[in-house]
Amino acid sequence: MSDLLKGNFDTAKPVVDNSEDGQTLEQRFEKEALKKLGGSIAFVAKQEVVWGDEDAEQDD
Amino acid sequence: MDASQAEREPATADSPSLGQQLVAQMGEITRARIQDLALANARANLPAIREGQSLKALRDMEIGEGDKAVVIAAGPSLHRKQVAEQLLAADYDGAIIATESSMLYCLRHGIIPDLVVTVDPHPSRIVRWFGDPELTEADLQEDDYFQRQDLDSSFAKALRTNAEIIELLEHYGPQMRIAVSSSSASSVVQRAHQSGMQVYWWNPMYDDPNRQDGITRTLQAENGLPCINAGGNVGSAAWMMANAVLGKKRIAVTGMDLGYYADTPYRNTQYYYEALALAGEERLEEMYMHIYNPHLEQWFYTDPAYLWYRDCFLQMAEHARCATYNCTEGGILFGDPIHFTPLADFLAA
Repeated sequence: MSDLLKGNFDTAKPVVDNSEDGQTLEQRFEKEALKKLGGSIAFVAKQEVVWGDEDAEQDD
Repeated sequence: MDASQAEREPATADSPSLGQQLVAQMGEITRARIQDLALANARANLPAIREGQSLKALRDMEIGEGDKAVVIAAGPSLHRKQVAEQLLAADYDGAIIATESSMLYCLRHGIIPDLVVTVDPHPSRIVRWFGDPELTEADLQEDDYFQRQDLDSSFAKALRTNAEIIELLEHYGPQMRIAVSSSSASSVVQRAHQSGMQVYWWNPMYDDPNRQDGITRTLQAENGLPCINAGGNVGSAAWMMANAVLGKKRIAVTGMDLGYYADTPYRNTQYYYEALALAGEERLEEMYMHIYNPHLEQWFYTDPAYLWYRDCFLQMAEHARCATYNCTEGGILFGDPIHFTPLADFLAA
């Protein structure tokens, strides 16, 4: 793109490309959407309760 | 496109659909989204936890008559199948455990749940089920999550409903017990206390509690609370408590559709905007999975989060020391070892 678009002035400060890891806008959009997906809380396989006291049975 | 008009080309194992691919990643996606927030909430809640009661206290209480419990979640079948009316007509006297999202439904029907459960750490959405004294029209315009969904359609009339739940909790709160997760947002904790509910604290599990240096064990060492496998969502957490905390042996779940009726527009699903962002309008269908319920001879559809909940629930039910009856009469939660049965039959047994 820089080969096609050439400015006709010099910028006061150098322009830095802030796009994340060269990701396209679409990829960034998807990444943000994924952050909002998912459940309410974690699931841990084959576990029920850990009471955390000596006198109670540990269920798992 | 209406969901009922969608083609039902099943994806194969070789070519899983976009939705199926996401189901496989849902545990990790959930962890990335909620874990830091949940643990930050747990640290912020520490002073309140130290002054409050642990969920352990409920082990010594006899809650509800007999060995039955009914879990009330807020899926669309809750209204369609008139769960509250059935419970009242049957003079049901077993335990009733409600998700916070079905609290309004219960109270409107004159049912005070024996236990309410809350777990999601979201900073602004969950407090809405308790009535948010700070809610403004600007908030509603910014987040239309409740208005779009059919979890409780009355939230479409949001401000009026908000005032109603505040009033109901002011009246009935002191008669209610609530199992508040350490992961809950301060706004939720504040509303539970403000309304005079009896608060019982617990930790959701984040990883294998047998790992001595794991997150679950570390958290338990900090706050001393029991750690419960919440199964990804509040409905599953409520079911787990019915069995593992209250010791009930026959547990019915209601309003646990984990999916949508075929005539529900995609726009009314929980992750519509995210689905749109990921798949685009033309591939939106790929985000949803259509499932035929053979017990009802009816099609439903679901999204990756709900399908993940279903997988988690089936795994938990397999290891549980109780019989589980799905009395939702709708949705996608069926399969061994769940008994899919009408609520009327469970109540009569």
